[in-house]
Amino acid sequence: MKIYVSGLYSGGNPQPGVGIVRSLRQGYPDATLIGVEYNNRVSGIHWNELDDLWVQRPWDEINLEAYADKVRSALDEGGLWISGSDLEAMWLASVFPGGHPNLLAPPAGAMKRIAKPAVEAHRGLPVKIPTYVSTDLPDWELHAFCRAHNWRVWLKGPYYDAARTPSWDVFVAARAALTKVWSTERLFLQAHVSGYEESVMLAAYQGELLSCVSMRKRDVTAEGKTWAGDISAVDPAFEATLRQMVKALNWTGGGELEMVRDPSDQLWLLEMNPRFPAWVHGATIGGHNLPATLVEGATGVPARKTEVQASEFTRVVLEVPVRDDYPLPPLPEPFAGAVGHSMKHPSGLTSLAKRLHKSNPELLEIVADDGPAADGKAEVPESFLADIASYDLASVETPQFLYFETTAAGLFKRAADRAHRLGTNEVEVVSGYSIKTNPDERLIRLALDNGFYGECISLLEVHKALEVGFRPDQIILNGPAKWWPEGMMPKERMHAVFCDSVADLERCVAAMERGDMSSKHVGIRIRTPNVVSRFGIPLDSPDTFAKLIDAVGRLPSDTAFGVHFHMASSTIGVAGWWHLFESMMKWCRSIEKLTGRTIQILDMGGGWFPDDWHSDDESKFAKAVETVKAMLPGVRQIVSEPGKAMAQPSMALAMRILEIQEHEEDHVEAVVDASIAELPMYAFQPHRILRQCGETGALQPLGRGKTHLMGRLCMEHDIVASNVSLPEGTRAGDVLIFCDAGGYDRSMSYVFGRG
Amino acid sequence: MYLVEADGAVAERGGTQTAPAPRPSDRWESFPPSRLSHHGKACCDIAREWVVGMDFAQLNGGDLTSGPRWLREKYKWGPSPWPIHWCEAVKRKTIDCGAHAALALEAFTARGLTAFPAQLVQKYSEDSTEQWRGKWAEEDVSCHWLDGEHIYHEVTALQVGEDEVKIWDASAGSWINPRQAGGYGSLVAIRIVADGQWGGGDGLRWGERRIKPGLWVQI
Repeated sequence: MKIYVSGLYSGGNPQPGVGIVRSLRQGYPDATLIGVEYNNRVSGIHWNELDDLWVQRPWDEINLEAYADKVRSALDEGGLWISGSDLEAMWLASVFPGGHPNLLAPPAGAMKRIAKPAVEAHRGLPVKIPTYVSTDLPDWELHAFCRAHNWRVWLKGPYYDAARTPSWDVFVAARAALTKVWSTERLFLQAHVSGYEESVMLAAYQGELLSCVSMRKRDVTAEGKTWAGDISAVDPAFEATLRQMVKALNWTGGGELEMVRDPSDQLWLLEMNPRFPAWVHGATIGGHNLPATLVEGATGVPARKTEVQASEFTRVVLEVPVRDDYPLPPLPEPFAGAVGHSMKHPSGLTSLAKRLHKSNPELLEIVADDGPAADGKAEVPESFLADIASYDLASVETPQFLYFETTAAGLFKRAADRAHRLGTNEVEVVSGYSIKTNPDERLIRLALDNGFYGECISLLEVHKALEVGFRPDQIILNGPAKWWPEGMMPKERMHAVFCDSVADLERCVAAMERGDMSSKHVGIRIRTPNVVSRFGIPLDSPDTFAKLIDAVGRLPSDTAFGVHFHMASSTIGVAGWWHLFESMMKWCRSIEKLTGRTIQILDMGGGWFPDDWHSDDESKFAKAVETVKAMLPGVRQIVSEPGKAMAQPSMALAMRILEIQEHEEDHVEAVVDASIAELPMYAFQPHRILRQCGETGALQPLGRGKTHLMGRLCMEHDIVASNVSLPEGTRAGDVLIFCDAGGYDRSMSYVFGRG
Repeated sequence: MYLVEADGAVAERGGTQTAPAPRPSDRWESFPPSRLSHHGKACCDIAREWVVGMDFAQLNGGDLTSGPRWLREKYKWGPSPWPIHWCEAVKRKTIDCGAHAALALEAFTARGLTAFPAQLVQKYSEDSTEQWRGKWAEEDVSCHWLDGEHIYHEVTALQVGEDEVKIWDASAGSWINPRQAGGYGSLVAIRIVADGQWGGGDGLRWGERRIKPGLWVQI
């Protein structure tokens, strides 16, 4: 019996080849085991249980047609083939779409049905698929997906590789890297599932499940790969459905379902691999020799019985002798000035991916349930278009911020109406406008006209609000610099003052005693204990909490007490913000209980992304009001401060294209007259971009592509947008409009490069 | 538990030739689970409220049945003197398994879950227990929890189904594996301190086992 085994890579993220060989050797001591590899650097070729080697040229060199003929001959001559590589198995499926009796790998149809991330074949199994989206959606929607999942998301390639993307800039960089490595734009973003990882390995032949076994990871590498595990029988109910799935897929070969079990015991399927896993021999140690079972099922030749050695296994690092006929190749020279040797994918799997994409693009596409591929063009609200239409763009001097009057008016009215709807006889709900998000007088006036309070972090902001028309009793003052600049503190009674530290509280108390400050409500800002923040009085140790309790006791008893907490929901995610809200309610209740002070005003919010705040779903906000009423019955007013949600959509930045440079492979660099000085948030959020057609005046949204929009500054990082496509006919002089620039883009923009 | 109470509750080895072979858990037969004392004043009220508030904050929106992993992060496992009050325990850098388990029990209960104190006897090695004996002696803390190659350990049983529990080891920051038996660090006996006729009198289910509350169950 001759068995070819591939996938012998044995680095930190190993392939299963060596484990398959070890297991086969136990089951068939006399079989001729031939290791198949595509690079003589792969260390598994030196494993001493291999009888022979079939070392091919790397995937980027090999003549695939000639090699296919060789494999066919080997199989026709009676050799069995167990693939230990996903991409090789895919290539074999394309060579033998209907399978081959001696090819112990899945047929093409089955491959398609286990494609990530939908893993269509999973239906019937007691598992769920973690939420995902394809990256061909517009950046605007990808950002929304990340926020919705608290930035606990993974960007995954269609075959291998996954990167945690905890922020927008990391996502953009990872997307560029994975796209380049795997030669595809179609990646996917998947929500992280917390829990313990476990797998089910299976062996099947022509649709019959021969055996399966369960493994829980008990130790993992830094990459999350199995280092130790325990082996047990698969739950009978799971096995029954797995048997049906294998039959439906007409599966042949090894396979692995990689899953996570969450704290509520729900299993989440991350992926299904068309091969045995790298821990395959760990199962053999546990008495489940699936490679031997597979060969027995395919040939009818009984395998030697596998003894149970232990129900748990672990890995160790072994040095083995190098074969005389395959001496170690030289170590590549590091690139000049670089650190270390780039040794990833020595057999050229990435090249195989590229070649397979060309020859059979359908086989290798990711399969998602979220509809046909999108073009990356974000939908732009009608009100934006109407506001842009009010400008004569041809005469607009660029770069210039465009004020969206209709949009802004609509946003403020909508927020005011919502606050009114959410209020009750017992609890008034009002909105606060954070002046710092955009101190444009037009926006401050809209806030005033719509019944907002003015939320200020400095006395300059207070005076700006007063100049626009706010009364002192419509001012809320907070932040660590509320006394800056000296001498500008209003003498009149303000609506609320929130102290940012114990020292700030002591200063405020003293000032009120002297008559230098007056406020209807005086309270504290509390620092979020589980999210890094520099603001507010901390709660992170029993001592600091005790100090906070003590400090509250020093607040004047003739003012109403309040609590303020802010955290950017766009940074911690929407679900994360709502958890923070619940957590803060519990802290507030504790503060009331321990100080005897009743909280009468609650000021909360900060940093809401506009779409999350202005969403039609009011139920969460309504529920929050109910929660406040239930947990803090003394609260009479809730100040909801949406932060940039009000300002961000209210302005856009118009710019002109100065020059278009075309490079190799359709890459384009377009230089614009704006820069990161006008778009300082470029790394934190996407912007919806429109181009005005020079001929028709029509506004065209930009989709995904190979164009980088380079700012006017002579600064290497001055790139205001990456991976966009300019509509056909775009030329120097055309106007681009970056929407969603009315928040911190506007307020933090700075003068730079203007002489 | 109070030190005096704990030392007094340790059973001496003895017996006659006709008596059944002693079980490792016999030494701790009368041992009650640890509990933190309360001064009856604001200091302990603040400490308790802080633990409950911090536990919920640290959940980060995760499942309520997640283990309070932060306790092990905040408080290293090691000797702590007994009796210990809430206000003292929360200010320490190091606490023992009794304090860890008591805090975890409070955290689970404050989340609205049902949890019970649980006691374990685990097997290590004489070398290990000697090391621990030395460390505990340096701090002038009783070593009643050590006995040859066996140790007494406190954990928390969390109800996750009608009559099913998972066992959270707050000192390790992990769930105890119900499948494992024998060897270094393995479980020798377990007792869950709970009232009621769970599982129709068969006890609480933990993995494949049934654990009758209040009784030491040998593994």
